[in-house]
Amino acid sequence: MSIAHIDALDRIELQDGFVWRPVRRHFGILAFGVNAYTPGASGRVIEEHTERLGQEEIYVVLRGRVRFTLGEDEHELEQGQLVYVREPSLRRGAVAVTDDAAVLAVGGTPGEAFGVSTWELVFPAFPFFAEGRYDEAKRILLEALELRPDSPQILYNLACAEALGGEPEAALEHLNAAVEVDEIFREHAQTETDFDSIRSLEGFPAA
Amino acid sequence: MSSYEILTLHETERAVHRGSNLIPIRYLLGFRAAGVNGWIADSGGQLIPPHEEDSGNEELYAVVRGRATFTVGEDEIDAPAGTLVFVPPQVYRTAVAAEDGTTLFVVGATIGEPFDGGGWDTFAVANTLREAGRIDESRAVMDKAMADRPEMWELPYNAACLEALSASVDEALEYLRRALEMAPPEEIARYLREDSDLDNLRDDPRFQELLG
Repeated sequence: MSIAHIDALDRIELQDGFVWRPVRRHFGILAFGVNAYTPGASGRVIEEHTERLGQEEIYVVLRGRVRFTLGEDEHELEQGQLVYVREPSLRRGAVAVTDDAAVLAVGGTPGEAFGVSTWELVFPAFPFFAEGRYDEAKRILLEALELRPDSPQILYNLACAEALGGEPEAALEHLNAAVEVDEIFREHAQTETDFDSIRSLEGFPAA
Repeated sequence: MSSYEILTLHETERAVHRGSNLIPIRYLLGFRAAGVNGWIADSGGQLIPPHEEDSGNEELYAVVRGRATFTVGEDEIDAPAGTLVFVPPQVYRTAVAAEDGTTLFVVGATIGEPFDGGGWDTFAVANTLREAGRIDESRAVMDKAMADRPEMWELPYNAACLEALSASVDEALEYLRRALEMAPPEEIARYLREDSDLDNLRDDPRFQELLG
């Protein structure tokens, strides 16, 4: 048995200025996807996104008031209300109306057993990037790579950590492995400032 | 069908399940990716019926409003709004409201399996309507569920229970025959022997015949 108040969970501030509270990871849940979010610097609670992998999602307002954008519509929801987004392609996002806002998100793909999303494995490394603790970021990404050895997202972020951490050979190896799986990472690499230290080396993926 | 739906948990129509007030979220929304439901009670009222998850489900309970007292295994836990309680399968759990209007949100599923539930909560909705004398609506709930999920033997079985509880013996036996054609024989045999919902059928020779 485990118990935690939402405020006691880790706070991982993500790029769009909202804070990820890793519920699933905290409890070690493996049967379904569940996470919570609170507002960060931008006041956002749920990033604007669609569910490209076909997930259905339920967002429960655990505390405070939140303004959801659902396609073209806007709805202000308060503690005790939820929104079910049936259509994965519907663009959705939310901002906090009150500072104490907290949202629990539950998602999964109908007819499929739950598997941990790659972003859940990669994002815990981001605060360490921000703090310049590249060894810690690398440790998390190597753990992630053990679970998903062919994930180009993990390989790419690992290459970033290695490039920033002064391991050019490892960085080139992992960056090229990411590009091999998905060419989109060749494009990303051209403008990625994390790779400035390795861009002129032999073996850097050409544009 | 709309691309999204909003629910206010404390204002939603409830069903009664084992002495608790169920907010039948999965049923109302048609959510298919996991089991999701809610419970609501005033101070001193039962939220989660005492049980273990024989289904093998992992379950997460979120206190959305009010305050609850959980019992998990041997531990008692004070859980104000914003508390999350995770309970693995086979662990005893129950919860009682410590404030009026306490509302829980629950999500559950089994590791490594696509979610495939929805029998018990549909039954709770239909049985609540039946007990209120709204027989046609109760039957419509089961008809729709069986049309949506024709592969689930639990649904015609539950429809048989509802008809048996209403003493509609012919209808109940017809649903039982359908369930028997679909269900794993040993699993349904146990229900047929032990389920008190079927007591109105037990003296009927046709039921004895189905028991084999």
